[in-house]
Amino acid sequence: MAKIVVLGAGIAGHVAASHLRRKLNKEHEVVVVSPNSNYQWIPSNIWVGIGRMKPQDILFPLAPLYAKKHIDYKQAKAVSFHPEGDQDQNRPYVMVEYVSEGNKGNKEKVTYDYLINATGPKLNFEATEGLSPGKNKAHSVCTYTHAQEAWNALEGLIEQMKQGKKIKILIGTGHAKSTCQGAAFEYILNVEQELRRHNVRDKAEITWISNEFNLGDFGMDGMLMSYGSNIMKSSEMVGMVFEDRNISWILGAGVNKVEDGVAHYENLDGEQKQESYDFAMLIPSFSGHGFKAYDRTGMDITDKLFRGFMIVDADYTPKPYEEWSVQDWPETYQNPSYPNIFAPGIAFAPPHSISKPRKSKNGTDITPAPPRTGMPSGITAKLVADNIIEMIKQSNKELHHKGSMGNMGAACIASAGFGMTTGSGISITTYPIVPDYQKYPDTHGRKLGKTFGSIGLAGHWLKLALHYAFIYKAKMKPFWWLIPE
Amino acid sequence: MTRRISKYKRFMMMNPIVQFFKFIYLSIKVLLVVAGGHGGTRSA
Repeated sequence: MAKIVVLGAGIAGHVAASHLRRKLNKEHEVVVVSPNSNYQWIPSNIWVGIGRMKPQDILFPLAPLYAKKHIDYKQAKAVSFHPEGDQDQNRPYVMVEYVSEGNKGNKEKVTYDYLINATGPKLNFEATEGLSPGKNKAHSVCTYTHAQEAWNALEGLIEQMKQGKKIKILIGTGHAKSTCQGAAFEYILNVEQELRRHNVRDKAEITWISNEFNLGDFGMDGMLMSYGSNIMKSSEMVGMVFEDRNISWILGAGVNKVEDGVAHYENLDGEQKQESYDFAMLIPSFSGHGFKAYDRTGMDITDKLFRGFMIVDADYTPKPYEEWSVQDWPETYQNPSYPNIFAPGIAFAPPHSISKPRKSKNGTDITPAPPRTGMPSGITAKLVADNIIEMIKQSNKELHHKGSMGNMGAACIASAGFGMTTGSGISITTYPIVPDYQKYPDTHGRKLGKTFGSIGLAGHWLKLALHYAFIYKAKMKPFWWLIPE
Repeated sequence: MTRRISKYKRFMMMNPIVQFFKFIYLSIKVLLVVAGGHGGTRSA
């Protein structure tokens, strides 16, 4: 009998727990530890942020589902890792602290045979002075509550625009090393379309601000893609859409301070500049949670488990951009020091960025961090679950299930406006996620055909279909496992 | 504002009948890319 503890119930944690429970018989214990009481389908936060969906449309409570599926659920947050146990406890454990009413603040040693750290990122708003959701007229769509607050603010401004007020909207990244440009990209296009729907588009000046060097970088060094019968750079496609929608842009911008209606940033020329706004949505940087780890004697071994995010089977040797390769990226997401610990999804420490690193003339790093959200999170979580199942069933030490982001495809179905007949979506697929310049030297490291873009109403339908399909899957309804990650 | 998408192209992008077939095509293509397998890179 084995006990598998999953930390986190986001996309990666929930996928791992679901597959473990389906494939392991009931003598094995699956425990999920998450401070969140709800599962949320994060990609649809965009639509909450424009008032076209309610938070309850994109979430459901975890406790009833887990009770029904025989998954033990603790509404608690991880505090520290003890992979060797301690003087009183022989088994490895995670110290957790309950956050639910009734036992709030109580701590428990949750022992495990296998541990999946799927805690995702900490939304590091503190890294940018003055950036806090709902303050200084700057918002976020990183959670459904943030998205709802953003919509409340935007709705108020739309009413003012109807009275004739002109406003400035600033959307993009709120830190020099933010990731998730895709979410901000979706949001700016959705906001633009909503303003047109409310007949106030002419009252708003909309600006994209980003730490990307080029438009369409998305933290993935941009891409060369098939677009109809043409081959197009992602920068050209995004530029075309922005120009067509009258959205201006500021690139290579590391936002470092936010005041009431003013974003301060440094650009790659080392200039300190500022941009005023009446409404902003700025994605913060992501960081690890700052977990500590201790060995059996109580000595701090955090360095063996974490470098911000969790250390896995990546090559972390520092080397220049020219020497980076897909082989640097992890394949099994297993911690090298403790083989019974894994970190799929955003929780693993990437070996380096995917985009070419750039510094300002003052030496400030202004480079998008690598994205690991959505499909890669689900795929890596499933392969981690499959490897653990094999280890349990076959006492197998060798891991057969592998999934490097350098040998994995991903789809980004970016909403560009909501509406069954008026909506739009920009569908982009990429293969591989991390460009393999040796394998595909003439096509910017990607395989054309598998890397393509498409714009139109069908993209919106596809995004909506994925919304319903993935919530169905997450609720573990009949044959949920047939829907791929 | 600079018009970058022609009227014809916009019509094609927003025509529900054209887009219905595009939806089927995209669904299959996305499925093939995403569910088309993944693996390691070091032994390749």
